[in-house]
Amino acid sequence: MAPADSLPTDLDILVIGTGAGGAPLLARLASAGLKVAALDAGVRHPPEGIATDEVAQLGLFWTDERLSAGNDPVSFGRNNSGRGVGGSTLHYTAYTPRAQPDDLKLRTEFGVGEDWPLEFSELEPYYDELEYFLGVSGPAEYPWGPPRKRAYRHPPLPLNGAARLMQKACAEIGMKTSPAANAALSRPQEQEGYGTRHTCTNRGFCQAGCSIGAKASMDVTFLALAEAHGARIVDGAQVTALTMKNGRVTGAEFMRGGEVEHLSAQTVILAAGAVETPRLLLMNGLANSSGQVGRNFMAHVGIQVWGQVEDDLRPYKGIPGGLISEDTHRVPGLIGGYLLQSLGVMPVTYATQYARGTLKWGPELVQHLSGYNHVAGINVLGECLPYEHNRLELSDELDGRGLPKPRVHFSFGENEQKMNAHAEALMRELWDRVGARDVWALPRAAHTLGTARMGSNPATSVVDPSGRTHDVPGLWICDNSIFPSSLSVNPALTQMALSLRTADALLGDLKGQAPRS
Amino acid sequence: MTVEERSAVLSLLNSAHVTEPTRRALLERLDVRYEREFFGEAEFERLRALALRLVPHNPAELNLTGTVDHRLHSGVGDGWRYADALPDGEAYRELLAALPDGFETLDGDAQDTAIHGVQSAHPHAFEDLLAELTEAFMAHPLTQYRFGYAGFADAPEWPRVGPNELEPREVAYGPR
Ligand SMILES: Cc1cc2nc3c(=O)[nH]c(=O)nc-3n(C[C@H](O)[C@H](O)[C@H](O)COP(=O)(O)OP(=O)(O)OC[C@H]3O[C@@H](n4cnc5c(N)ncnc54)[C@H](O)[C@@H]3O)c2cc1C
Ligand code: SF4
Repeated sequence: MAPADSLPTDLDILVIGTGAGGAPLLARLASAGLKVAALDAGVRHPPEGIATDEVAQLGLFWTDERLSAGNDPVSFGRNNSGRGVGGSTLHYTAYTPRAQPDDLKLRTEFGVGEDWPLEFSELEPYYDELEYFLGVSGPAEYPWGPPRKRAYRHPPLPLNGAARLMQKACAEIGMKTSPAANAALSRPQEQEGYGTRHTCTNRGFCQAGCSIGAKASMDVTFLALAEAHGARIVDGAQVTALTMKNGRVTGAEFMRGGEVEHLSAQTVILAAGAVETPRLLLMNGLANSSGQVGRNFMAHVGIQVWGQVEDDLRPYKGIPGGLISEDTHRVPGLIGGYLLQSLGVMPVTYATQYARGTLKWGPELVQHLSGYNHVAGINVLGECLPYEHNRLELSDELDGRGLPKPRVHFSFGENEQKMNAHAEALMRELWDRVGARDVWALPRAAHTLGTARMGSNPATSVVDPSGRTHDVPGLWICDNSIFPSSLSVNPALTQMALSLRTADALLGDLKGQAPRS
Repeated sequence: MTVEERSAVLSLLNSAHVTEPTRRALLERLDVRYEREFFGEAEFERLRALALRLVPHNPAELNLTGTVDHRLHSGVGDGWRYADALPDGEAYRELLAALPDGFETLDGDAQDTAIHGVQSAHPHAFEDLLAELTEAFMAHPLTQYRFGYAGFADAPEWPRVGPNELEPREVAYGPR
């Protein structure tokens, strides 16, 4: 038998990154009998090794330094970027709302932003498939969006303190709420390649990794399936260059344990996320005839409002985002809209956000933090328009590997500012109604999107509607960088849908048939 | 840390309600002390004095200053910094140097006045340091005990998640 760390040869497909973009297609292509491998800069984090402690779990995050510029500098690391086999899904909160059809048609509706070069009807079957495969828990009737063809596989998870407070407050002002769709199990489920995934134990630490296997991170779902079908996953392997011959991509060079190694493949799929993907392309001078690589960096409007109540809430218990409202999906005066989510929170995350957000210190700080058990939060996730000037570029500063650190410029535009203000006022009103005290708001931007946008026109986009780069034969991209607009929902489920869709297009190419549409 | 506090922390940490990886991390943190490696001696003393005002604590119990020094020495970062700011270590040094001479021996009110001055002159470094100290403070098992936080004792499960629906181990944990 070959030693465990020997590298595969004669690969059909090499995937770089194993998150929401890389994992589903890896499984699909492996299941179709192709010889596939994936490289991930991070290592494996099996559930049984996960601690219920945020500091101990720092290894789940991308902690190589990024430089944040602009009027609203984005905080990276724990806020939005994973590193590990499973990518950011290792620490996502597993909120899995679907996009609504009008999310994909922003320009048509408002004359600004971008339309997606595909229809909702093309995503819908993938949503159906994914929600079943991942084991999404959700309500029998979801109140927003088109009627569903397939019910959620499992009933909703229980509502924790913050969710019940939000439910009560929204009811008082006539806002509809619903238990959210969460990709975490309310009943056990068998998962091919992994075994039994257990029911969520309500430990509330999703953002520090799930120790139960209840949460549908990629490692316990698609990656397990991929490996069961022969895919090779090489961890601790950070790609530093793509290799080319006669204008075609031939593979990737990567560093593993201080050594530089190489893997060749017929086709390379870049799925390193919306910061590392454009960084690699810019370092290699690839796929950028449009000049769009690194442009249109987007991060959702993600302001949070926090307060403390008399009740002993224990915000570490229960799935953090148990309740949702999409009643603000469209708001007069705003381009696009936002959704509302209740928030549980882990102690260190809460404490550091409070320190940064209020800049309180001394006895006042400690006094506030001592009330952690009584904290309830609520946040929004709203449309962020693409702007040319919000961009990622390479800086002159080098990282530990001698590669240029990325610098990300980000400033909210007028619409994001208006949305932020609208959302803050609404959430403050809700928390007033439940009698919360010490209410404070944390304006923030969430997720990293849009630096290698998808489109039909090679002059204004980096990849085509299936994920092929316009410029480089054999090179595809599938991660959050290809989002043409941000959508007013959390991105992971849609990302996974795009991933399966890209896999089907690639299989179609290989069969010499038209891609499934 | 009183004998009672210590034994309460250890008894929950060593119980079956805490998983092995969690126990390992928290037991190590409970007593950890770091030798000064990154900062010079005078800088370190000044950082300690500053930390005591920013996040009041007993340095014999919580080694917050050492935790910051250790993090800088090890070179581990949090994934980003403001593009117009110096790397963390240098930025912190600049912040410390901006405090008035003899800061360590000023009385509390005078120290606070000086701190307000550097907060507005070095906002990014101030924010980063405050957040880092707050993290070390909140992550410490003793702070967690005193705040009645029992979230790490999550095995085998939290059967109820509604307001005021506490398990006996949650009720029991923390000062009376
Ligand atoms: C705290 C948090 C909570 C979130 N909660 C939700 C949620 O509730 N719902 C939701 O929809 N979304 C959520 N998200 C966002 C979601 O996780 C992302 O949208 C999604 O995972 C992005 O997929 P991706 O494939 O673009 O990148 P990732 O999932 O980040 O995967 C990229 C992978 O590429 C690897 N990589 C990067 N560079 C290289 C390289 N050079 N060589 C090799 N490998 C490399 C990384 O290690 C990583 O594993 C959350 C994110 C965070 C941070
Ligand atoms: S709340 Fe559920 S899904 Fe989240 S980490 Fe805990 S067990 Fe896993």
